[in-house]
Amino acid sequence: MTTLTVSDVTLTFGGLNALTNVSMEIKPGLITSIIGPNGAGKTSMLNCMSGFYHPTTGSIKFGDQDISKAPPHFVSELGIARAFQNIELFAGLSVLDNLLLARHRHLNYNFFQAIIYYGKASRVEAENRAFVEDIIDFMELEAYRHSVVGNLSYGVQKRVEVARALTLNPKILLLDEPMAGMNVEEKEDMVRFTSDILIDRGTTVVLIEHDLGVVMDISDQIYVLDFGEMIGEGTPEEVAQNPAVIEAYIGEE
Amino acid sequence: MSTNRWLATGNFFTSYKEEQRIYRTHLDRSIFIVFLAVLFIWPLFFPVKNSTMLVIDNVMIAMIAVLGLNIVTGFAGLISIGHAAFVGIGAYAVGTAVTLLGKNHELIVYGWPVMILLGGMAGAAFGALVGLPALRLKHLYLAIATLSFQIIFEWVIMLMSFFDQGQTIAVGRVYWFGGKVLRQQHYTFWYYAILVFLILCGFMVRNLLRTRHGRCLIAVRDNDRAADAMGMHPGFTKVYAFIVAGLLAGIAGALKAYLDRGVGIESYTLHTSIEYLAMAIVGGLGTLNGSLWGPAAIQMLDLRVEELAELSGHYLPAELNLATALRPLTFGLVIVLFLMFEPRGIANWWRMFRSYTKLWPFRY
Repeated sequence: MTTLTVSDVTLTFGGLNALTNVSMEIKPGLITSIIGPNGAGKTSMLNCMSGFYHPTTGSIKFGDQDISKAPPHFVSELGIARAFQNIELFAGLSVLDNLLLARHRHLNYNFFQAIIYYGKASRVEAENRAFVEDIIDFMELEAYRHSVVGNLSYGVQKRVEVARALTLNPKILLLDEPMAGMNVEEKEDMVRFTSDILIDRGTTVVLIEHDLGVVMDISDQIYVLDFGEMIGEGTPEEVAQNPAVIEAYIGEE
Repeated sequence: MSTNRWLATGNFFTSYKEEQRIYRTHLDRSIFIVFLAVLFIWPLFFPVKNSTMLVIDNVMIAMIAVLGLNIVTGFAGLISIGHAAFVGIGAYAVGTAVTLLGKNHELIVYGWPVMILLGGMAGAAFGALVGLPALRLKHLYLAIATLSFQIIFEWVIMLMSFFDQGQTIAVGRVYWFGGKVLRQQHYTFWYYAILVFLILCGFMVRNLLRTRHGRCLIAVRDNDRAADAMGMHPGFTKVYAFIVAGLLAGIAGALKAYLDRGVGIESYTLHTSIEYLAMAIVGGLGTLNGSLWGPAAIQMLDLRVEELAELSGHYLPAELNLATALRPLTFGLVIVLFLMFEPRGIANWWRMFRSYTKLWPFRY
């Protein structure tokens, strides 16, 4: 079980501080939420964690390994997977192919075994398929297995997005607004999946979400960002009592 | 096991291995095997003129080249305007060996399969080199990089005396188990040789596409940000696409060198590059069978246009020179029409035909 430690991260885009001295600790076995108003720097934080952005100063460590300068494909190999806010699936492929793609690093046959496709490659692919089917089962995507992703409804696409990140078999799963734009029923499903991901699969979850009801319900730890600065942290009860958080969300009395 | 392995109806899979298969039913597979067998035996029963055989040989070489182009442009989504240069690299690999060793050296005339593979490797090596800008460049800028490679290639060949300034470098007649391959058998012999290479390359690409080494190409085409998050290095994947494309192009080029019994620059110019691109588009980008339809269709069209031009020469004044105008005209027209009305190419017609016949005679 590895802890993701963010210490004093500042992220600057040409004079604008997207994040200012943000520190947080993602403890294994918990659901940690990052909340805050629009433009608070939540997604920037996630981008830093997953290697798409590199902090200007400060460091991000996964266990003992410094990942603040690591590219995304390296970070994902370490065991940090993410689902994107705006769906970034391979739109022309089927759900199955999307998930198989995420297993890229886990398939250990080489090019020559691949072009012969006999013996090892075939066997590994079959095992791989079994693993992917497991995820499909977990995320309840059976009915859409062979559908082209681009033709699916928004809610299902979001689910595929989470499924694809899960297929990487990560230690930490970063979910960027998985429930945005969903109806109540889909939202309930997604909440169930999120807590199941932790309980059944033992994957630590980092959640960015605007629906405070959901966040207060399922989070173990909450970090609140506003204008790139950390204004509050703690358990849901502590955060709900925090005057700075209340001010950021509903303004002064 | 499934109940009925011969028809699509009542044929279900009970293991993932079964679902991996290329041919879903025994019927499909048998038809394909019969088709391959027919490809091998028809020249024995219907001997054709050497000129006809030459056309068929050239079409099949183009098929191998377009397979490579489809890897890089169709599957990985990187427009390559320098594909003829890669084919040329393969051919000039043979040309270099000829210049260094002499045109009747054992390696050239006996070890020709080795030379063809060497041509492929040379193509792959240059593919890696030309692919390097893909680490930084995207879209049209990368296309321009491939275009510049095409131009550099042409100029290097035309200026270096080592390559005889682009004049034809003659390649000797090869030997096979039956002895020297003579003029009468030359085209038929190479028909078989090219066919074998085409089938091997086709299966290579087909297998590649059902493994991680093929899926990663489609991933970087569709969304390279997500591909990055899924643990693929988008840059290296693109370089790798160029390597595979270069490999296939190199094989095609080496085959062409042997078929033409010579290597000259005029077969590997920018014009040929555009022609390959047209073949890939007409056949259907990003499809395996499109790489086979495209070259055949374009070549057929070319022959028809030539006939038409010849015919019109009898009736129209000579200074009109319809023949030279007609070829590029129809060529461009076909590309435009395909882009407008069938961007998915002939492969899409094939797909519709297949889905119609799949459940035949049942409508649903």
